[in-house]
Amino acid sequence: MNNNLHFRQNHFTLIKLIIFLIISMYLIYEDKELKLGNEVRNNFSHIIQPIYIVAESPLKLYRNTSLYIKTKQNIIKENNGLKKKVLVQSGIIQQIPPLKEENKRLKKLLGSSSSIDSSKILIAELIKVNLSPFSNKVIINKGNNNNLFLGQSVVDSFGVLGVISEINKNFSVVTLITDAGHAILAVNARTNKRIVLSGTGDNRKLKAKYISLNEDIIEGDILITSGLDNVFPGGYTIGEISVIKKKLNQDFLNVKVRPSSALSSNREVMLLW
Amino acid sequence: MVVINKIYIVSTLLLLFAIILNILPLPNIIDSCRPPILLLVLIYCTLAYPESINLAYAFVSGLILDILLIMPLGYNALCFTITIYLIMMYYPQIRLQSNWNKMFSLLLILIPFFLSSTLMNSILKINYNIVDVAISIVLSVIIWPSLFNMLRFIRQKYTQ
Repeated sequence: MNNNLHFRQNHFTLIKLIIFLIISMYLIYEDKELKLGNEVRNNFSHIIQPIYIVAESPLKLYRNTSLYIKTKQNIIKENNGLKKKVLVQSGIIQQIPPLKEENKRLKKLLGSSSSIDSSKILIAELIKVNLSPFSNKVIINKGNNNNLFLGQSVVDSFGVLGVISEINKNFSVVTLITDAGHAILAVNARTNKRIVLSGTGDNRKLKAKYISLNEDIIEGDILITSGLDNVFPGGYTIGEISVIKKKLNQDFLNVKVRPSSALSSNREVMLLW
Repeated sequence: MVVINKIYIVSTLLLLFAIILNILPLPNIIDSCRPPILLLVLIYCTLAYPESINLAYAFVSGLILDILLIMPLGYNALCFTITIYLIMMYYPQIRLQSNWNKMFSLLLILIPFFLSSTLMNSILKINYNIVDVAISIVLSVIIWPSLFNMLRFIRQKYTQ
């Protein structure tokens, strides 16, 4: 009798397993592009956001405590450093308006339209939770309420970070430029040649594609956004060329680029319109 | 009846806590090879109450994790369901084992989890580092005895 019961339970468990496996496979097939998941996250954002906030709270507590116990001397030191930095940067900024005017005048002479300046900037904070280590996505604390749009570019103080790939009520998902499915059209600042960069899945490098063997390219070249892909405004730094490898049996150079933005350590990012 | 309710409440709270632990930010070095805490807690709950905490729990917890981790829905649900099915098959044997044997059987049970997630990563073209995944499984095996004892202590304190 007991054996029979045990057998029945196993039998039911197996049927349950098969049903759940079929449902999971169907869901995976439907959600390859993360659209179904996006809808679910959008509908349940009021439940999901508190979970993220709770998960992030130990880190926030640690940061706030370390800020609180920072000595006065350290803060004065940091303040002096920042003052110096502001002074240097405001000196550099002073040169920009005349350069802009000159640029406009030259472009007029050449007959091309001047690049559009991004007029609005919004600062968002990263919600530091651990997503899958290989997904190259981050979450920011701005959402539908701030009039964001899909494909909006996100930068930090060092360079381009990524694009917004999902918007929910109170938080949004940013796909980093290093994501394996992401590509960006860059320009070599030295030679003005266009280069296609694609993500590798590794936060520390990007891959430059289709660069012919005789291309004028050297290690240390700075790559900036071209503005031609209608996603990123032109002129923002993406990174610098770190490795160039030439193999005789290949048609293109093997070029690696080190992203300049602090992809894994920043706290605040800027959203551009 | 009250005991059964208590079992559900305690297990659900443990799983919720494990979900939060699973997405807790950690330094970059540990981040890529963190053990699947939610799965470990789920395995413990199934070992303790195989009649109550079963495949449905595994499936739903997997789905919740997929939603939170921004992964394709069903990814973790599938891996968790397979693992918990194995636990449900072999729980009478695992329960009687010593700590060392338990670690070894956890390793054996985590191998299908490892294989299914690797297979899915390659089908869905998710970039992954096989060494990190292997390290995460070794770490899970190492922390298993202490986690097991801790969870047993909590369970015994709050369900009786």
